Amino acid sequence: MRLLLVEDEIDIQRFLRTSLEEAGFEVEAAMDGKTAEKLAMDAPFDILIVDLGLPDQDGISLILKLRQLGVRAPVLILSARRSVDDRVRGLEQGGDDYLTKPFALAELLARLRNLLRRNSPPASEATRLSVLDLELDLLRREATRCGQILQLTQQEFVLLEYLCRNAGRVVTRSMILDKVWGMRIQPDTNVVDVHIYRLRGKVDSPGQKPLIRTLRGVGYVLKDR
Amino acid sequence: MSSRTAEPILHSAAWRISLWATLAFACGTLLVFVFLHQFVADDIQRRSDAWLSGEVEVLGDVAEQTPKNALYDRVVGEVAELASKEVPNRDSSAGASNDSVFFLQTSGDGALMLWVGAGRGLTNLKSIQANRILPGTPMDLRIPGFGVPFRVAATRIYDGSYIYLGLSERDQLRVLGNLRARFILLWLLLVLLGFGIVFFTTHRMLSLVRRITDAASRIGHSDLSARVPTSARRDEIGSLAMTLNHMLDRIENSMHQLHTITDSLAHDLRSPLTAIRGKLEVSLSAGSSVDQVEPIVAVIEELDRLTEFLNKSLDVAESKADALRLSRSRIDLDELLRIMIDLYEPSMSERGLQIRLQSGGPLIIEADEAMIHRMIANLFDNELKHLPAASTINLLLKANSGGASLILEDDGPGFDLEVLPHLFERRVRGRESHGHGLGLAFVDAVARAHGGTARALNRAQGGARIEVTLPLLAHDQTNGVMTPFHSAH
Repeated sequence: MRLLLVEDEIDIQRFLRTSLEEAGFEVEAAMDGKTAEKLAMDAPFDILIVDLGLPDQDGISLILKLRQLGVRAPVLILSARRSVDDRVRGLEQGGDDYLTKPFALAELLARLRNLLRRNSPPASEATRLSVLDLELDLLRREATRCGQILQLTQQEFVLLEYLCRNAGRVVTRSMILDKVWGMRIQPDTNVVDVHIYRLRGKVDSPGQKPLIRTLRGVGYVLKDR
Repeated sequence: MSSRTAEPILHSAAWRISLWATLAFACGTLLVFVFLHQFVADDIQRRSDAWLSGEVEVLGDVAEQTPKNALYDRVVGEVAELASKEVPNRDSSAGASNDSVFFLQTSGDGALMLWVGAGRGLTNLKSIQANRILPGTPMDLRIPGFGVPFRVAATRIYDGSYIYLGLSERDQLRVLGNLRARFILLWLLLVLLGFGIVFFTTHRMLSLVRRITDAASRIGHSDLSARVPTSARRDEIGSLAMTLNHMLDRIENSMHQLHTITDSLAHDLRSPLTAIRGKLEVSLSAGSSVDQVEPIVAVIEELDRLTEFLNKSLDVAESKADALRLSRSRIDLDELLRIMIDLYEPSMSERGLQIRLQSGGPLIIEADEAMIHRMIANLFDNELKHLPAASTINLLLKANSGGASLILEDDGPGFDLEVLPHLFERRVRGRESHGHGLGLAFVDAVARAHGGTARALNRAQGGARIEVTLPLLAHDQTNGVMTPFHSAH
């Protein structure tokens, strides 16, 4: 996977490159819009990360210019701005995504994967999801573990489904809030954790191997191994 | 334009101004007429008196010089007849029978000697004797059987008899009546025309003022790009609009500077925060031992809190300057609340709190969804942090004339009395509170940015009550502010 990282802060660029390479991306980095254009023209990329505040031009102008030049790869926009620009919303609707700084690495990786998945030809929509001995019937909205039906509320089912779709990968609290409840907020209290504890109480009954793991300071992961 | 223009016209200033101006004008012209009328009436009176006096003198002379024989009656009667045909102001349409003039001669002891006029003249004689008409200036005389009084002049001739000449005031009154009728008609027309002109001009001028008011009131808390309509004329109203627009230019400019400052502040703080957080995360994933992980995780959590604090601080700062930027859409407040309650309910029941929503069904408002999410999260976080176990939170959502109203009530200890008046200010929190003390300030900020209000008080029966109102529609964006008029930009 070839990734173009357009970010002018050298510190951020450095740690992003490290963790992205660790995650298996082949990373090319640019400090400004000019270099980014040149790199994008030289060889195609699968995905782009563009910071909005570039020294020579606005990140959005760069994205629009690249689109004009025929770059079709999805873009993850990084923004240190406070309010989400309407133009960013426009791009978001066009299939790209945005993330405000500072962000959790797990979230960045998850959003990148999401963008790549969205861009690849859609697999036929599965009606069943299974992770180890956990099975979800998406049509009947029913979850079973070791053949035993779990008594889940509607909301808990949606949460479990989201964890299953991202099995083996870290999801952060803000990702859960965004995808399950549809809101970008950062509560002062542990509202998401309580939902996870409850779900865990139902999914990981005593004597069974725990599936939902907490990664402190990062988020949660549904184990698939 | 907007609903404001549809106000009853009777309440408009233009109506009042025109009414008073017309009243003054009508009174003035009426006064002039009364004066004129009096003058004309006096003049007519004077002329007919002069005629009467002259004629009665002539008739006296004729009567004196005519020998008292069989021809006397005919000669004097003839002369009197002739005189009656020269009556001033005579209505030519009155026909041949002449009842507007009479001539009467009595002997010294009051017996009727000669009568020229309509009828027998006896009633005339009686009235004359009853009113004691004396030679000299003509006098008014009412005679039974006649609607209008007569003007009568008398003279005494040498043989001791009296001659009376009477002229009906009918013609005189008719002339004055005509004059009055015409004037009233003319006066009404003038007054109506005057009212029309005054109303039209003031209404036009004031409608400019009203448009400016409309536009200015629509230039809301978050939209400063609009301008009030200006007119091409350089009159007082034109310069009012220009001045307002210049003022708006300056406000927009300083607002823009404020945004630039907060944006660059946010940017300058967020970039290092991003770098620090990223580096910490990288070191975390490098398979370190539990002893090392613990402090790193704690630092990351602190960093996240710091970031959220930074965001809220800047939002509150901007909103205090009425400069919070919104990106509005139509949202169903009822549905939004249900989802948020769904999110918070487990945490609340975990702490022994109950939350109930009372709502009249879907309630659509035009608002920034993310801001409303954050506002309600703040309210709920606040309750979670401060309420003792076994408390109940009641949420009431309803639409009223002021917009959507969201009332949150609990049966906890309520707000500290010393804190209550400053609840919506920055960095205020109760003694037992933890957090930045920005929560309720942020709630107020979001409500204000949407053109709404937030109020907090302690309930009489104990517990806190927070009421947030939000307008249903953002009128500063739905209606074009730059209506058909000449626009400044």
